[in-house]
Amino acid sequence: MSRARIPLPLWLGAPLVALALGMALLALVWTPHDPAALAIGEKLRAPDWTHPLGTDHLGRDVLSLLMAGARTSLAVALVAVGIGAGLGVPLGLWAAARRGTWIDDLLMRANDLIFAFPSLVIAILITAAFGPSALNAIIAIGIFNIPVFARVARGGALTIWSREFILVARLAGKGAARISVEHVLPNIASLLIVQATIQFSLGILAEAALSYVGLGAQPPTASWGRMLAEAQTLFYGYPRLAIVPGLAIVLTVLGLNLMGDGLRDHLDPRLRQRAVQ
Amino acid sequence: MIALDHLSVRLDGVPVLQDLSLRLKPGRVTGLVGESGSGKSMTALAIMGLLPAGADLTGQVTLDGAQISTLPERRMARLRGREIGMVFQEPMTALDPLMTIGAQVAETLRIHRAASRAEARARAAALLIRVGLDPDRVPPGRYPHELSGGQRQRVCIAMAIALRPRLLIADEPTTALDVTTQAHVLALLRRLVAEEGMALLLITHDLAVVSQMADVVAVLHQGWLVEQGATTRVLARPAHSHTRALLAATGHRPARVARTEGAPLLRVEGARKDYVAGRGLFAAPRRVRALDDVSFTLNRGESLGLVGESGCGKSTLARAVLGLEPLDAGHIALADAPVSPSMPAAQRRRAQAVFQDPQGSFDPRQRVGRLVAEPFHLTGRPADAAEQVIAALRAVGLKAEDARRYPHQFSGGQRQRIALARALVIHPDLVVLDEAVSALDVSVRGRVLDLLARLQAERGLSYLFISHDMDVVRAITDRVLVMEAGRIVEAGPTAQVYAAPRHPRTRALLDAVPRLTQAGASGV
Amino acid sequence: MAVYLLKRLASLGLALIAASLVVFALIEVVPGDPARTMLGINATDAAVAALRDSLGLNQNIALRYLDWAGGMLRGDFGHSYSYRVPVAQLIGDRLWVSVPLAGYALALTVALALPVGLAAAALRGRAADYGLMSLTQLGIAVPNFWFAMLLVLVFAVKLPLFRSGGFAGWDAGLGAGLWSLTLPAVALALPQASILARVLRSALIETAGQDYIRTSRAKGLTARGALLRHGLRNALIPVLTIMGLQFSFLLAGAVIIEKVFFLPGLGMLLFQAITQRDLIVVESTVMLLVAAVILVNFLTDLAYAWVDPRLRRRGRA
Repeated sequence: MSRARIPLPLWLGAPLVALALGMALLALVWTPHDPAALAIGEKLRAPDWTHPLGTDHLGRDVLSLLMAGARTSLAVALVAVGIGAGLGVPLGLWAAARRGTWIDDLLMRANDLIFAFPSLVIAILITAAFGPSALNAIIAIGIFNIPVFARVARGGALTIWSREFILVARLAGKGAARISVEHVLPNIASLLIVQATIQFSLGILAEAALSYVGLGAQPPTASWGRMLAEAQTLFYGYPRLAIVPGLAIVLTVLGLNLMGDGLRDHLDPRLRQRAVQ
Repeated sequence: MIALDHLSVRLDGVPVLQDLSLRLKPGRVTGLVGESGSGKSMTALAIMGLLPAGADLTGQVTLDGAQISTLPERRMARLRGREIGMVFQEPMTALDPLMTIGAQVAETLRIHRAASRAEARARAAALLIRVGLDPDRVPPGRYPHELSGGQRQRVCIAMAIALRPRLLIADEPTTALDVTTQAHVLALLRRLVAEEGMALLLITHDLAVVSQMADVVAVLHQGWLVEQGATTRVLARPAHSHTRALLAATGHRPARVARTEGAPLLRVEGARKDYVAGRGLFAAPRRVRALDDVSFTLNRGESLGLVGESGCGKSTLARAVLGLEPLDAGHIALADAPVSPSMPAAQRRRAQAVFQDPQGSFDPRQRVGRLVAEPFHLTGRPADAAEQVIAALRAVGLKAEDARRYPHQFSGGQRQRIALARALVIHPDLVVLDEAVSALDVSVRGRVLDLLARLQAERGLSYLFISHDMDVVRAITDRVLVMEAGRIVEAGPTAQVYAAPRHPRTRALLDAVPRLTQAGASGV
Repeated sequence: MAVYLLKRLASLGLALIAASLVVFALIEVVPGDPARTMLGINATDAAVAALRDSLGLNQNIALRYLDWAGGMLRGDFGHSYSYRVPVAQLIGDRLWVSVPLAGYALALTVALALPVGLAAAALRGRAADYGLMSLTQLGIAVPNFWFAMLLVLVFAVKLPLFRSGGFAGWDAGLGAGLWSLTLPAVALALPQASILARVLRSALIETAGQDYIRTSRAKGLTARGALLRHGLRNALIPVLTIMGLQFSFLLAGAVIIEKVFFLPGLGMLLFQAITQRDLIVVESTVMLLVAAVILVNFLTDLAYAWVDPRLRRRGRA
């Protein structure tokens, strides 16, 4: 049982995520061409040296669009995870600290309620009501991350609260808030990290879906979902236009999920124990 | 007859059982004794062919001369349940929660195609009666969660003996049970062995249980069989030093001076506490009285025992005394100041505690130095906190450099020492010891009890010592309280209560404790 | 059981009320004047006022909510502004596409996930397990609408086995109708089947470590027999949770997949209504989808009780 060995999924996933993050970060300062520059004369060109992935129906450079799209997709998903974790984890910790009281009941009922909503349909409704934009997509996706983090945090925290070292901390005069921060949070951190990678990948898929139906990022902001939407009518003649952004989504999400699996194996000692065969 | 010949097991290359040879004859009870990690459970799993993945077995297990340890899974499965039955330690989790107990007993018959569906059902019902489950109170249609631990263990025994196996293996079958329940289950096993003429391999850490049950005993130590022979002979004239050490530790009582006459330190008056069970929107709340008019006094320098079976209210009382839970009625005073969950730090620091679980009582992510310093939260961190932590560690027999290690790097006994250091670092008046030695092996337990006695004498500490273990309470307390269903039913000097119990519950508890009979014939 | 049922029914009612409040608030309260939204910025004030009147927007907001919610309960979903027909009629037509599609996809999901999850758990740690789990990782990562595009490219354009879009209609016969829903259902089912297979596998492996599995093997079951007889039933509890949630994903996913295949379902209706700013249709369609999901979660809770006696008998003692 070698503690330090890094699991295979982590090895496979981390480079994929690093690639997507690298593209997004690079796009903040540099892309090969202006991703928004239209050049109708250059439209639908096959890949060559100036346009390594060719151009689209408006003559935009596909590689530049891909990089700028990475920026949008990752930013939307990351901020949505931030919203979910930032609000959900404190709520979950609070509910666990007040377990068995009406506060816990109320928080968890509200949680179940949001959980029971078809998230994408409500996200569609929110973006339709408030006008489609990347910001509204972030909010719509972020709201549905809150109950996920709250539930994971509460579940993990409840098992920690039942341990005897919490009794000892209470004997030392520590209050519920202090115990939550000093003892509970560090012990559920690995659970939360794993959940964050999963919600990150789901956020990328949700952003792509919203942008695909025209309710996410708006022109001229590039996004992977929008690239797919624009490619749809040209798809049969120029499959490249849909395959490139689609593969970008698949590989990024795959990378994140592999990382999540790897981290779970790496961080969760419970899974390292062997069970009877 | 089942025989083990030169059986060795390695787990991921680490030897856990070495060169074990044993004969398990019909109608005979073999006690397999050892402390945790001695390889006794591995022996059972090796016989059953249920070793975990990564285990490597050499030597052989034979059934009537035919080797069975090399059989493929499918053929081995045909022997399990039919020729060899097994009962495990944890009755609370050993049964499938989604199946009725009758169906689970019938399953043994159905798996081996020993009966038709209807016949299996009828035979299962008969078996449940035979293991002592009254069909009027515990019908076969019940689900496991509706049964107590002892009842579940009876179901497990019914499943294991359904096909009248030639060997029954019972791995710590009563360790998770209360002492009176243990006595009943042991009696049941003894009766079944006599009726069926089967061999019983009884695995236990408790020499007293062996002395009551076993015809022959085998002692394991770190994977090696160190001694085996007739129980009477081994217990009366142990040949191996480890057997002698086990025997000495079993009856061990630390040398201590009785003190009962100090000034009153803790006063509990009319304490009452109810718990609400089954709260809900439509269901009427059901109240369970955990503490019912409990009153007692604990004097300075005294060691007061509190005994009773699980669910009698001992732990609730401990938490109330520590100011972790409010009372519904009554009053607790420590050093003449009230105790409650909202008491000030200066009052809270007077009482500290050591709990049962050496695994769970430390935050696994903090080092020992920080863990032991945690109670300084009550006093404000002194300038020489690090020195005080080291002094506390030294006082419990640990070293200064242990402060830099993590709790999982210590053994169970060492961890209870760390817990004690943590309790003592702010010099409390009262230490509540809630099953503090119950999870320890018997030899380790003896040394921790010695430490407790020494610290009490040196520092004039007062102990509230809570345990289900009657022997341990006798060894370390001056006075004792006996609890049943939230009430104190008997109180008095320990020696007097043990010698002449007045309340029937006290008598039942004392009668149920297995006696270690060392001289002459084995106990009957 | 009766107490459990009553509790569940009460929380079902609460969930529906809360959901309807959220939907109502999002559409009619938050973004300003719905009448102006529907008519666009160029509309005259008189036209807006007339529409406000016909929509009942000048009424008290609480009354309006009660009116709307009461109408929904009676099956009156309001009147479409752009189609000029009752919304109930619009939705009724489209249900005949969306519900069969979601059901078809759920059936495919279970049919794919069950054998894969079981096989992977039984062959845990072997090459086949790794192979199957890698495939499911890929399946989860694929956006279903993109997978749908690829399916069309391969099975409709390159190999003309299916139509690239549209719905044959049930009038053309059950077979033809199902055939035209096959590619969309496959596209929907693949990611969900991948998720379900993984959940099933880990639930089975989790139960395989339980004491009662060891007990059943001590009774004479083989490792595989114990997995099938005790592991599967116990693993069903987390699997049911996921399946309940998956229906929600399938409905939402169907909304988007319908766009890829030009299927005349609820999703198509929803997007057309959003484009035409027909808020009445949007409101009713979304409410219907949400209600369906909440109802399925209710049924999941009942299924729990059916599987788990500990829930069934709670409150009896």
